[in-house]
Amino acid sequence: MASPAAVHCSGAARRILLLPTTVRPATRSLPGRLPAVASRSITSPSSTSRPQSRPTPKLQPPSSSSSSPPPRQPLQTRTYHSTTHPPPPGPFTPAETTLLTTALAAHVPTHGFTLPSLTLAARDLSLLDISPSFLGPSPTARLIHFHLYTARAALARLATQHGDLLSGGLSVSEKVELLTWLRLKQNEPVIQHWQQALAVMAQPSQVPTAVRELALLADEVYFLAGDKSVDPSWYTKRGALSGIYAAAELFMTTDKSEGFQETRRFLRRRLQEAEELGGVVKSVGEWVGFTASAGVNVLRSKGVRI
Amino acid sequence: MAAARPALKRAIPSLRSTFLLPRQQQQQPQCHHHHVTISRRSLSTSPSLRNDTQSTTTTTTPDRETHFGFSTVTESQKRAMVASVFTSVADSYDKMNDLMSFGWHRIWKDHFVSTLNPGFAPLSAPSGPSSPQHILDIAGGTGDIAFRMLHHAHAVNANPNVKVTISDINRAMLSVGKSRSTSLPASQQAALSFVEANAEDLSKTRALTPILSQQEQTFFDPSTATGGIPDNSVDLYTVAFGIRNFSDIPAALREAYRVLKPGGVFACLEFSKADKHPLFNSVYKEWSFRAIPLIGQLVAGDRDSYQYLVESIERFPRQEEFRDMIKDAGFTVSGEGWEDLTGGVAAIHRGMKPRV
Repeated sequence: MASPAAVHCSGAARRILLLPTTVRPATRSLPGRLPAVASRSITSPSSTSRPQSRPTPKLQPPSSSSSSPPPRQPLQTRTYHSTTHPPPPGPFTPAETTLLTTALAAHVPTHGFTLPSLTLAARDLSLLDISPSFLGPSPTARLIHFHLYTARAALARLATQHGDLLSGGLSVSEKVELLTWLRLKQNEPVIQHWQQALAVMAQPSQVPTAVRELALLADEVYFLAGDKSVDPSWYTKRGALSGIYAAAELFMTTDKSEGFQETRRFLRRRLQEAEELGGVVKSVGEWVGFTASAGVNVLRSKGVRI
Repeated sequence: MAAARPALKRAIPSLRSTFLLPRQQQQQPQCHHHHVTISRRSLSTSPSLRNDTQSTTTTTTPDRETHFGFSTVTESQKRAMVASVFTSVADSYDKMNDLMSFGWHRIWKDHFVSTLNPGFAPLSAPSGPSSPQHILDIAGGTGDIAFRMLHHAHAVNANPNVKVTISDINRAMLSVGKSRSTSLPASQQAALSFVEANAEDLSKTRALTPILSQQEQTFFDPSTATGGIPDNSVDLYTVAFGIRNFSDIPAALREAYRVLKPGGVFACLEFSKADKHPLFNSVYKEWSFRAIPLIGQLVAGDRDSYQYLVESIERFPRQEEFRDMIKDAGFTVSGEGWEDLTGGVAAIHRGMKPRV
């Protein structure tokens, strides 16, 4: 990428060379935008590099890049969170999105994650009864995947709207708890059908999709919470949250309390336990490490060549 | 079966004579002037092929190059050669499929049909019963897909409001399907119709006419058409193990787009590439290039037709390329757009004609 200075120079060069004035505004507008981009490391593969002071710029893709993406490219995927680029388009094509959104909003609360929901949505859109079968081998699994995907994507938007998260007064673990709770609450409209959905996603052919979505959700939560760990705890944190989230989701399907308060308490207890366990593991690790190196040094002092 | 016999008897004599079938010896070609120059030795010397080629060239528009197995031929030549291949194998087609795929093609076809779920209608529909569903099974020949579709719609989904049209360019294959259909329940037979058509131009069709003499050509001649499939008239367009043999695949996809209603589904079951699993792929390639032509020679008495089969599988575009061809025809796909079966040996591509 050209540095802002270089671009600025080229803008000056154009003026000296008396290029048509119509060229100038476009050229000169670049330096104004570039420093913000160039000052951040866009090559870092860390998913956790986003400073907390900058609330989710990735949600507002620049209008220039949101216009039609090249049609012949395969679906773009990215294995890290970028603070400077809009998110990839996701695994759902526009026609699919229309059909699945209609089904999810209008028919899933009544008919559950079933083929009738999709067929009725197709009729709403003046499509045919056969249309949902273009969704692949299991249209219902696709519908559930769509719910998982949209709920995860909505989390980033919710994070920018929630006052507690914006104020900056919360610790990372408190933010994780709040974000997980925000995600759980998105299952509320379909909670009476959620056991059915979990059963579908537990089928062997759907397990890869389900596990991947769960991992992406845990990563999204830690990213939005501003976690910046780059050590092995990157994995243990996400692994622990995945397990806790799955358990809480299941707990929620049988929770009859007002506003699912029992689920929230359950979530808090599990996160608390994970934190305590993490503390214990960390302490034990430190003790083992110290003792081992001390032992080695004792042996060295006795002349053992290690 | 009986209807297919005459077609079989006149099928590519030289193909068979190459491989120890004495009863065909007397039909050896008398002359070999100015016929197509292609590299496959036995196909290039077939008198029946030459006749077929000449008659098609009179009815088709500019001849572009395409491939026939590993050879490069013109589109009309390919049409004629494919016609002769399938005329030749019509009778033993189903037996050969079982032998070549260890019966696994039945699993693929069952999966193909049950995931498309023809005839499904929600019981709680507020808008009353659904409109009749029209399924067009292209290259449906022996009826494997069409009969499953009917069974799924009528028996599984209890929806008799589904009719199926089987279309094939080859009367010999259609005749086999027609005779097999007589064992279906009467209600299903009533919902079934057979037409001869070229999938690249479905505006010209003809109801299946029995093959009366051995001299008749078995593939469809558009100049004898009596009907056509109108625009926006089909709910579900299926083609199983057929599109590989088409001379002009993009044209066939455009025709599919034309005949489908908005919201209609295009579904294609076809051999594909298994090279994501190198070890499995090498075993599969050994099997297809060594065993399948041999089985064809021993069981169907026709090595070259099956040599063509495996070569045409090899030449067929990869999953991604074929998905892009489907999108280019105007269809919208879901996710990556295809589903691999058995590690990619076969793949199902699905697309929907969007409502614009």
